[in-house]
Amino acid sequence: MNEPDFAVSAANLTKTFTLEWTRKRLLALDGLDLRVRRGEVFGLLGPNGSGKSTTLKLLLGLIRPTTGQARVFGQEAGSLASRRRLGFLPENPYFPGFLSGREVLNYYGKLADLHGRRLRARVEELLELVSLQPAAGRALKTYSKGMLQRVGLAQALLHDPDLLLLDEPTAGVDPVGSRQIRDLILALKKRGKTIIFSSHLLEQVQEVADRVIILHRGKKIQEGTLDELLSVQGQRQVTVSGLTPELQEQLAAWLQNAGAELIAVTQPKQQLEDYFIRAVSK
Amino acid sequence: MKNSLRHIWVIAGNTFTEAIRQKVLYVLTVFCLIMLGGSSFYTQFDFRGDEFKFMKDLAYAAISVIGLLVALLGAAMLIPAELEKRTIYTLLSKPVRKFEFIVGKYLGLTLLLTLFMALMAGIFMLVMWSHESSLTNDIMATSQGQPTELQLQQINEFRAGAYDPAMWQALTLVWAKLCLVTVISVFFSTLASSTVFIVSCTLFVYLIGHLQSVARDFWLAPESGASWLTTVFLAAISLLIPDFQTFNLIDEIIGGNRVLWLNTRHILLYTGGYTVIALGVSSLLFESREL
Repeated sequence: MNEPDFAVSAANLTKTFTLEWTRKRLLALDGLDLRVRRGEVFGLLGPNGSGKSTTLKLLLGLIRPTTGQARVFGQEAGSLASRRRLGFLPENPYFPGFLSGREVLNYYGKLADLHGRRLRARVEELLELVSLQPAAGRALKTYSKGMLQRVGLAQALLHDPDLLLLDEPTAGVDPVGSRQIRDLILALKKRGKTIIFSSHLLEQVQEVADRVIILHRGKKIQEGTLDELLSVQGQRQVTVSGLTPELQEQLAAWLQNAGAELIAVTQPKQQLEDYFIRAVSK
Repeated sequence: MKNSLRHIWVIAGNTFTEAIRQKVLYVLTVFCLIMLGGSSFYTQFDFRGDEFKFMKDLAYAAISVIGLLVALLGAAMLIPAELEKRTIYTLLSKPVRKFEFIVGKYLGLTLLLTLFMALMAGIFMLVMWSHESSLTNDIMATSQGQPTELQLQQINEFRAGAYDPAMWQALTLVWAKLCLVTVISVFFSTLASSTVFIVSCTLFVYLIGHLQSVARDFWLAPESGASWLTTVFLAAISLLIPDFQTFNLIDEIIGGNRVLWLNTRHILLYTGGYTVIALGVSSLLFESREL
């Protein structure tokens, strides 16, 4: 099966775990069909325990599917060839605390087959990209959660992979850090990278994802672009300025004569996050 | 192949660095150093004539016991920690094979043991040298620099006791024994994530290993009269558990008996062979383990 148009494809992907003592079987993922195009930002949405992390683990080959199969750039998921082309940020990443930010990137860089001058240059480039250069020499155990998340992103990008798998990339990160991560995702998309990320923070998904699937109890319940899923059919929203109460009455009457209906008049509001970021960056 | 070796080396280096930053290792090392340093002090308690043998006995006992703890705890703490803290997810998202992780971890721990043994051997030699110098200086002082024939003979005996080249042979065997314990600990850490379980199983194999030769002799005896169940059990012990009894040569060496280097080489080859097989089986088991 060779699917050059798809970065990731999965057919009937099912994963059942057997609990250790009771031998009870737990269905974590149920017949997932998935196709992620190259260059797409793809969101895996769902509440806790819906199968998001299981899907990412299956794509990495950390666990094997009970039935079905997954491919990454046409290669079997988990194979060395597929792992050479992907970078992974685990949920709440933890790194050897005795290493510094720079040391840990050097360590993972060597495991990603980078060496010498190329590795050193790449590490410095990434430290700058994730704004960690001032703290690069400090032991990771002194890093905040947001800083660890950024180290996690940097290590995932070390070998300039074509596909990024991000498990809850903004979990536990403050709004400024969260915005940086989102900007980074968008910048990587511009460079043609494919990004699959899981999240339950729906507003953030809305800002970056081209397409999403919603998982619930291991099953895919929705799939589509955000426009397809979120647009209210048959309605349009218009933002105007200078709308006095008299004008509003006239507008409502005019619309009614024209066969349309004025459903709501509301005051546009800023997003709290935008407001917060502007406030703290002053 | 080249990449595999490079990955193994990188993981080994990281494991070594992580291990030498564990506080428990420092406590064990300091404890061992106190035992070694103290061995000279204990000779005051009337060991005339055998004091170097006493010092060697004490030093080898300290190195063996503390080394055993280092070997046991190294793998039992570091490999489960990778799983528990999920650092292994990041590691295996890179183009790294699971066997490279296992072999790298083992080599890192072996490097740690080698450093531990080198440090202990160095301190041990220093203690022996210091004690020998002190005794020799006493004789030279009492004889005002003109030792009698008998005193010269005594000095030569001290030197022979303190600088016995067979000590290197014994230290090499202790190192090999600890490497064997490490590989067993690595094997169990591919099956379970509990440090207590790994340490208990490794200790169990270590103890059974001291009886392995008895089981083997009984299994191979032509007319043992054992039931098929007993035969299978004895065969399993003989084939799967390493023979720790073979390291009793260490006691022979410390006891002053000459042991051929050829025998030591055989034991090293046996240790190497068992290690390669155990690492192979561990890698296969770890390959099939879901993370």
